[in-house]
Amino acid sequence: MSTFVEKIMGKPAGAVVTVTPDYLVINDGVSHAAVDRISTVANQDKVWVIYDHDVPTGSPEAAAVLRKNLKFALKNGCHYVQAEGVGYQYMFDKVVKPGQIVLGGGSHEGIFGAKGTLGISVSIPELARAVETGRYSVIVPETVFVSVTGKLKDGVSILDGALAFLKENAGIAGKAIEFYCPSLEDHEKAVLCSAACISGAYTVSVTEEQPENSRILCLDQVNSMVMMPCESRGKQGEAEIRERASLEGMELQAGQIGGYTGGTIEELRKAAALIEGRKLTLGFRLTVCPATSQDYLKAMEEGIITKFIDYGAQISAAGDHSVVPQGAGAMGHGEKLLTTGLYTFSGAMGCEDAEIYTASVESVIAASTTKKI
Amino acid sequence: MDKKFSGKIWKFGNDIDTDTIIPGKRGTIPTIEEMKKYAFELLKPEFGCTVRAGDILVAGTNFGCGSSREQAATVLSHNGVRCIIAKSFARIFFRNAFNSGILLLQCDGIQEVCEGGDIVTVDVDGRTVSVNGHTFSVGEVPENLFNIVSNGGLIEDTKKRLKEGVKKLNITPLSREQCKKSGYTMVEKLLKKNAGKEHVKPGDIVITKPDMFMIHDIYTPYLLDTLNKMGAESIDDPDKVTIVWDHCMPTAVAKNDSEHYDAGLSLAEKYGIKKLHIGEGICHSIMHEERYAKPGEIATATDSHTTTYGGAGNFCSGIGTAEMAAALITGELWFKVPSAIKIVLNGHLPEGVLSKDVILKILGDIKADGGQYKSLEFTGPAASEMSMMSRFTVANMALEAGAKCGLFEADEKTAEYYDMPLYKIDWIRVDEDAIYEKVLTYDVEELEPQLSCPQGVDNVHPLHEVLGTKIDEVYLGSCTNGSIEDMAIAAKIMEGKKVAPGLRFVVVPATNKVFKEAIDLGYIKTFIEAGAVISHPCCGLCCGMPYGLMTDDESILSTANRNFIGRQGTKKTLSYLSSPTVAAATAIAGVISDPRSIL
Repeated sequence: MSTFVEKIMGKPAGAVVTVTPDYLVINDGVSHAAVDRISTVANQDKVWVIYDHDVPTGSPEAAAVLRKNLKFALKNGCHYVQAEGVGYQYMFDKVVKPGQIVLGGGSHEGIFGAKGTLGISVSIPELARAVETGRYSVIVPETVFVSVTGKLKDGVSILDGALAFLKENAGIAGKAIEFYCPSLEDHEKAVLCSAACISGAYTVSVTEEQPENSRILCLDQVNSMVMMPCESRGKQGEAEIRERASLEGMELQAGQIGGYTGGTIEELRKAAALIEGRKLTLGFRLTVCPATSQDYLKAMEEGIITKFIDYGAQISAAGDHSVVPQGAGAMGHGEKLLTTGLYTFSGAMGCEDAEIYTASVESVIAASTTKKI
Repeated sequence: MDKKFSGKIWKFGNDIDTDTIIPGKRGTIPTIEEMKKYAFELLKPEFGCTVRAGDILVAGTNFGCGSSREQAATVLSHNGVRCIIAKSFARIFFRNAFNSGILLLQCDGIQEVCEGGDIVTVDVDGRTVSVNGHTFSVGEVPENLFNIVSNGGLIEDTKKRLKEGVKKLNITPLSREQCKKSGYTMVEKLLKKNAGKEHVKPGDIVITKPDMFMIHDIYTPYLLDTLNKMGAESIDDPDKVTIVWDHCMPTAVAKNDSEHYDAGLSLAEKYGIKKLHIGEGICHSIMHEERYAKPGEIATATDSHTTTYGGAGNFCSGIGTAEMAAALITGELWFKVPSAIKIVLNGHLPEGVLSKDVILKILGDIKADGGQYKSLEFTGPAASEMSMMSRFTVANMALEAGAKCGLFEADEKTAEYYDMPLYKIDWIRVDEDAIYEKVLTYDVEELEPQLSCPQGVDNVHPLHEVLGTKIDEVYLGSCTNGSIEDMAIAAKIMEGKKVAPGLRFVVVPATNKVFKEAIDLGYIKTFIEAGAVISHPCCGLCCGMPYGLMTDDESILSTANRNFIGRQGTKKTLSYLSSPTVAAATAIAGVISDPRSIL
């Protein structure tokens, strides 16, 4: 049986393969650095330049990045997307198709695997090279299969499941992960795949065929989890993951719900249901960031945005707000933030001495009523 | 402080605004000691590190114009500046400087015979300043103001008063019948009513008891600190006070904003302030939306655009932090009765031309100092036809002409907005027999859309002169033009259309109420479908916060109220101000465009 990555790349694990990616994604987060290295574009139709991170721009430097990206896209006739929300989620919902290949400079390209699309995170030089040549070469990685069994307990979400998986499954960096998870909803599969990228996996996907030899992620046994702060972006994969109970009572100053792990319409609906009859605690700042403009529109139509406004939340523009050095939701000296975002490194959300913790929508809403974990 | 002293000159030109003195982006640095290093950083970067105690600034007209930020005065004071000589001073800066312990002297002539580095000698009693062998007369400095300077500022002065026990004045406001007495400008009527004076004239000092005080989060740390320094354990009346978290909320400047947030909560807790608006929108919009600032009353706030509620016939003007602290303790605030300019607006505004165009046209005509410490009083058919939101827009920007206040007559619209009978406020009107310093008459029928162009609010040009100018970002929002009416007219233009490729369109409703209404009426949907991003109600980019900051050589068109150098990005960012209709048309076209051809 061929694995997902073997099928799409057309060769077995261990073989050298050269593929022609269908999409090469550059954004204003990290991968804009590739623009500085690109002299020619092999196929302009395959290059997507997306403005989704610093929305709206939090500094003149951020505006300069946008200017550079826009100039690049216009000069080379590439796709330019802005005001649509998180690039991953936009591409996932609107653009990519099963069987295709996406190359990007972010860390969570594996999200596309939830849709049967091969998402590969590459380095900046690699991304630039692929844009220039239209090709990408790699040794096909081995695959680790994971069967997801059981059912999540009330108040526990698939993000907790993903964090529990990461806690128990070290050493899969560089390999492909295939989850067999028929009981999960589609949006849950996307959360699982994107969060599993933290492991350093080459890619992540979902299989519909039950694997014979697989690791097990038993959802029945998953409790609410928290990913702890870490030193630097490069060490995000090493961030400690704990059960939330071990941090019970820790005081927080703010919470954030957003992105592809907390800002999709499904997650927003869940959060809206959870705030019903509750009150935002004085002194706790809650930011809600719809993942895409479509999620924003749906949330408006369903009265969810209004509900959050009445709750006392701050509604951010649709976009990727998991790293905000300066902009709505930035944290001050010594403050603690509980977020659905997947980055907890020092400085990710403002001051370097602010502590960032990743948790589920359920955990963030619970904290918003008590100012504590 | 001696009444005769000398100092080395730092020389400046005309219209030195508070953003030039201390850039808005430095305004949230928590301590003045840290902030003072950035004084004049864009104009004279060497100032902060080389100014010496006792140095004296010599400037042209309108020194200290722009934002009400008291920090502009306090950073100078903390840099050791004890005296500024200028042809004229902006009104809020005038108060703030004295309250910070800086002596201000008005002098026209010295500017032509001195250079930076010369030594000037000031003789307060002799009412002269001398430099390079030339001597010039200056005005008298009232003893009480000299004492504030001499005591090192209002804080020390108030401490002294607190120690002696604050003696409250017994003021009986005038009755409605007394207010109806003819022959007064609107500002005279409003001030004499509150001060309980049968008669006032321009130049008189009146002691008032403001009906409402508003504090916003830019100043919460400094106000808390000042109240502590003054030794205040309580304030006069917490029910008359509201705190609004709008400049630094959502927290966005990491190292600063959370301190402002926390300080607001501490103020509320310590002094029993219950009217709190955390992240609910812009303070000035909330002040009238919540009916805190009512017709016929007096409101004050730590912000320059406090003039906004004059649209409802409320006397309202901004003050600095130290003055706010003193006023909160005593419940009293002095005002010099301003002279007034009557502005008659005739005709009917054409479609696509809004009240923003009217005030921009006036600003272009009278310039940034044309209303210096005046009351601009609007009347005439076009003023009467304006909605309440339109009037608030005009009153909001009256400040940009240096006005003390911008007032509209109270009428049926005012009464309806405030759900009060008209007879209670119908005395707020322009008396034909009142003495106005000047009367300006406009026929708005012929008016075309107007734009403030780079880089000054009073650099106003009619639309046809700037049509086709490339724009990189459009910003719809602010306390000037972030109302539901502004959202409606912009949405009407944007309906079914797309933002120009590559142009960033940022929409920030003024308040949560506006936001929710704009959602219900489909305006937000229209904007998002057109390609806009929506930020939560806040002051946002209008005050230079990180909600769409620009880089060098980019151009922004904004519906806000200021386009000072560097405010929306770098000192090379070009900034235009316009009405929401021009903004929407421009967002679609990518170049400055005429909305009248779309509507």
